[in-house]
Formats: sequence, structure tokens, C-alpha cells
Amino acid sequence: MTNEELQTKYQSLLDLANQNGWQYNLSGGDDGVLHVDVNVPDENAKQQVWDKYNEIDPGMAGGDLVLNANVTGSEAAGGGANTYVVEHGDNLSKIGEKYGLSWQQIFEANKDIISDPDMIHPGQELKIPTA
Amino acid sequence: MKIKYLYILAIAAALLLAACGKKDSDLQKSASDKLAADNVSGVTVAVKDGNATLTGEVADITVKTKAEASVKSVEGIKGVTNQLTLKPLAPAPTPMGDDKMMEGTINENLKKANVTGVTATVTNGEVTLTGEVPKADLAKAMQAASSANPKKVNNQLKTK
Repeated sequence: MTNEELQTKYQSLLDLANQNGWQYNLSGGDDGVLHVDVNVPDENAKQQVWDKYNEIDPGMAGGDLVLNANVTGSEAAGGGANTYVVEHGDNLSKIGEKYGLSWQQIFEANKDIISDPDMIHPGQELKIPTA
Repeated sequence: MKIKYLYILAIAAALLLAACGKKDSDLQKSASDKLAADNVSGVTVAVKDGNATLTGEVADITVKTKAEASVKSVEGIKGVTNQLTLKPLAPAPTPMGDDKMMEGTINENLKKANVTGVTATVTNGEVTLTGEVPKADLAKAMQAASSANPKKVNNQLKTK
């Protein structure tokens, strides 16, 4: 589908944002995938956005939309910086492996909170450096 | 006799004028004013025989639709030909890091959102989600994937 066809398909999603004054940004489109980044004030609004997507494309399996609803003013729920929360039994090599990084790279990025690379604690929030 | 003939002619002329309705130039002005009042910019209106043609480039589909509705609502406009084009979009955001990095980010996003039973596989910046989740978790799983800026999300999740 072209950019215009995709926008037509997902118009009611954009209308929903406009009606509520939620700012959105469109990108891509011509490669067959429309990217919609919408800033919403709270979790309820975020839910409405996703419900609308599911209404237009039940099951959301079309693969032609990348929808990102950001709750503004909150760093919760995976938004913002790329971080990892340490779990019981983790060590730096194991965490690094999840991201294709070495333990040294994880350690370097978190020297402010880790003094001994062999000592990390469950619940600690580690910064994940971009490779 | 001559006077009667003129009289009929005058009535005919008056009827003809009334049938013509508003002039195109007046309609064009009304349509442009209406667009301005509705905060639609970048649209040029031309009116011929009561039919409006819209041209120009607008930000997205919602503006294109709104412009058409605005002009249609102007009294005297018989029809609207919408030739508005959409502004080309910027390229999609660059994916975060390489495939492995994105996979790790998505897995951690899933964990933070308390979603289990999902496997995220990233190839060339495209995510494929497989597994089975409760219906209520589907959007959360999709959000976990899309916030890592993938090129595409192939959702193959089954819901239970």
C-alpha cells in the first residue's frame, strides 16, 4: 500500500488523536509500513489508541503499522532510556548476551552504580549502552 | 402590444438570474473563508459552475478529508473534486542498535510490562512476535516491540 492508502486505512486512529488534541508524528509510509508516534497524557488514552488500532485491524497482524503510544511526562512502562532491571541469578555476561554486548561494555556504562563487576543485585536498574 | 412583450422578457430575465444562483467568484471567496475559519491551510480552491476543485499539498489524510468537508458545507457549492496531495513523510526512525540489541530491548520491555509467553525475533530491523498471550496483553506486547523502533512488526501472536 502507498502512504496515502495506509493513512486512509488508519485515518480513524489519527482522527482520535486530533479530537483529543494528542500530538502525533507520521513517518515511513512509502515502504508499506506507516509509523505513527503519538503522545498521550495517560495510560487510559494509550489504551484507547491501541483499542482503535485493534478495531481497524482486528488482531493487529497486518504488519503495516508501527504504533508507538508514548505516555508523556512519565518514564514508566519501558519508555525513555534503555535500561535493564537485574533479576535473581543474573551476572553481567548474561545480561550482555541478551543485547549482543560484552560484560565490560555493561560495566563501563554503569560504573557509577557498580563498583565490583561480580556484585550486582536483583532490582538494580542498569543502563544499556548502544553498541 | 410592444409593452407587453417587454414585460414578459423582463420576467424571463429575472427568472434566469435567480436560477443561476451565486456567482462562482463569490462561492470561491466563501469557500476560502470557510477553510481559513476551520484552520485548514495550504489548500487552493477554484470554483466553476458551482463545482469546487481543491489543489495543494497538505500534512496528512485528516487535513485532506477536513478540507473537503469544509468546502462541501458552503452553501451553493454543488460538488467537490479533491485533488489534494499528501506531504511526503520523513523516513521511519532508525532502529535502535543492531538486531541483537533490539531483541534485548524488546525482551526487557516485555518484562517491564509483565508480559510473558512472547518470543521476539529481530531480523534486519524487523520484529516477529510469536507465542501465546491473554487478549489483554496483545497491545502491551506490540507496544514493547514498537518502542524499540523496528522497521516493521510481524505479529504472529495467538491470543487465549
